[in-house]
Amino acid sequence: MDLVRHLECFVAVAEESHFGRAAARLGMAQPPLSQRIQRLEKELGVRLFERTSRQVTITEAGTLLLTEARELLARAEALRTAARRIRDGESGLLRAALSPDISGETVAALLAGFRRRHGHLELELHELSTAQQLAGFAAHELDVGLIHHPCDVTGLELGPVLRRDLGVLLPREAPQAGLDAVPLAALTGYDLVLFPRTDAPAVYDDLLTACARGGYTPAAVRHGQGASFVRGLVLSSGAVALCPRDTRLVAPGDRDLVWRPLSGAPPAWRHSVAWPKGRGDAAVGAFTDAATHALRTTADAHSEAPARPLHLRPASEYWL
Amino acid sequence: MTETATAARLDAAFAEAGVTGWLHAVDIDSGAQAGTGADQPVCTASVHKVCVLVTLHELAAAGTLDLTEQVECPPAGRAPGPTGLASMLDAARLSLRDAAFLMMSVSDNTAADLLLRRVGRNAVNRTTARLGLTRTRMAHGFGEMLAAMREDAGPSGARALADPHVIARLRALDPARTNRSTPRDMTRLLGALWRDEACPPEYGAAMRRIMSLQVWPHRLASGFPFDDVHVAGKTGTLPTLRNEVGVVEYPDGGRYAVAVFTRTANPAATLPAADAVIGTAARIAVDALRAP
Repeated sequence: MDLVRHLECFVAVAEESHFGRAAARLGMAQPPLSQRIQRLEKELGVRLFERTSRQVTITEAGTLLLTEARELLARAEALRTAARRIRDGESGLLRAALSPDISGETVAALLAGFRRRHGHLELELHELSTAQQLAGFAAHELDVGLIHHPCDVTGLELGPVLRRDLGVLLPREAPQAGLDAVPLAALTGYDLVLFPRTDAPAVYDDLLTACARGGYTPAAVRHGQGASFVRGLVLSSGAVALCPRDTRLVAPGDRDLVWRPLSGAPPAWRHSVAWPKGRGDAAVGAFTDAATHALRTTADAHSEAPARPLHLRPASEYWL
Repeated sequence: MTETATAARLDAAFAEAGVTGWLHAVDIDSGAQAGTGADQPVCTASVHKVCVLVTLHELAAAGTLDLTEQVECPPAGRAPGPTGLASMLDAARLSLRDAAFLMMSVSDNTAADLLLRRVGRNAVNRTTARLGLTRTRMAHGFGEMLAAMREDAGPSGARALADPHVIARLRALDPARTNRSTPRDMTRLLGALWRDEACPPEYGAAMRRIMSLQVWPHRLASGFPFDDVHVAGKTGTLPTLRNEVGVVEYPDGGRYAVAVFTRTANPAATLPAADAVIGTAARIAVDALRAP
């Protein structure tokens, strides 16, 4: 029996709770689907579903086996992906993406590291926002990417989460530029330059919340991302930008702008490599290792600090 | 407004609030509908307490139990939670219908599990099946669900929720592995409850009274800041999930069942915009149904 194919049928019926809908999803007719489920039940010696005239419900035994079935299917998918790359040999291709805030030095280190680990595979690297990467995973157009957190991680597997602490980009003559480390609250009165919200909505909202938590609520948020545009806004319009040290918006000996660390527990960009669940293979692993290593060595990225206290309020309804 | 235009407005409102949302709204009397992703399988979380409530009253109507029957609630072994009996310290004794009131008004997990023990999980699934909710299934009790989440989150408890790896592995957030339904199934349930098809009218009235006593103002009700509009509902919340299903009644007799399920990208526990968009989206849908 083709166990993988039969398990696909089992998972589809379990998720749809309906033979007709499961059959439609699998692109097959209902009678052969029912037969497959019966054959699988016979093979396993376990009743997976209770069928009544109106509906089908998974049994306790079925529920217990569902997790195992999903894992097995994910591994089978990974095996197929790996086989496709091996079969394609030299022409094999890993479609990968980085978010636009990653510095050129980090990109170079990543590419060199990946070539060392997986030299025979071509790496097609794109510059994409987190939102674009998630859409790319869903459309099967992207194999792996370096994303920002928080984002919706449904259906994703993740590499280690690293953080790049943010500092502030200020005009050299600003009074705060004289401080070794700037408290967020000292930025009151400045507008904030930030990437467009659609690039990573949750990251955008989270950063504004962190600023508010630190006592800084900008009167206006100006959207910009390109280095020269951001420099221009900071130089001429009463705005500051928050960025990691490695963004290199300040040249050594820069006469106009300075970068200063934020004091206290600064907000950070949090990254990890991500790929669709079950589609990880050796190439994805090599990309993950190369990206993680490149961020650590060139971007001063470090592991997550111990999480802050989290006070659940009664409206949360759950308690941990 | 066309159905597609309403769906687009709903999706835009959800995106603006930083959530992915699925909604179904139906005019209880005419059957007119609006929504987006109405057949999406969703984790119900505490919204499943509506199913427990209906089952309890169905069994009472059948004479299987008496709503004034007293239950003992010893302090040990209570399902955890931040409200009601779940957070009280001493032994309690109360009637089934008062336990139902606590389960619905403050989402009391201990009261819900007390009732669930009395009626049985299979009875809840039989009730939802009888009402034609083919995509709705109760897989475990509320205490069990929270225990599984504690196990998945690990020893650092709620703090671990900031870690995306933890969010990705919580079984309680996978509709296939926990209590589940769809927005359309939930409005079907509310329609039956409000039209007295789920239970005889006296039991229907008892359930509607209880559902009108929910204390939370921040979700569905926030979209209808009108003193002459009546809102009854039940919320459901888990890390990244915020839900509410309920019925909105206008003084002209218009009444609308609305089911809203959302998921945030941000695992933070306090996200007022994500709560409020449930009301905003419900109002977009109800206004579309009320449009001449």
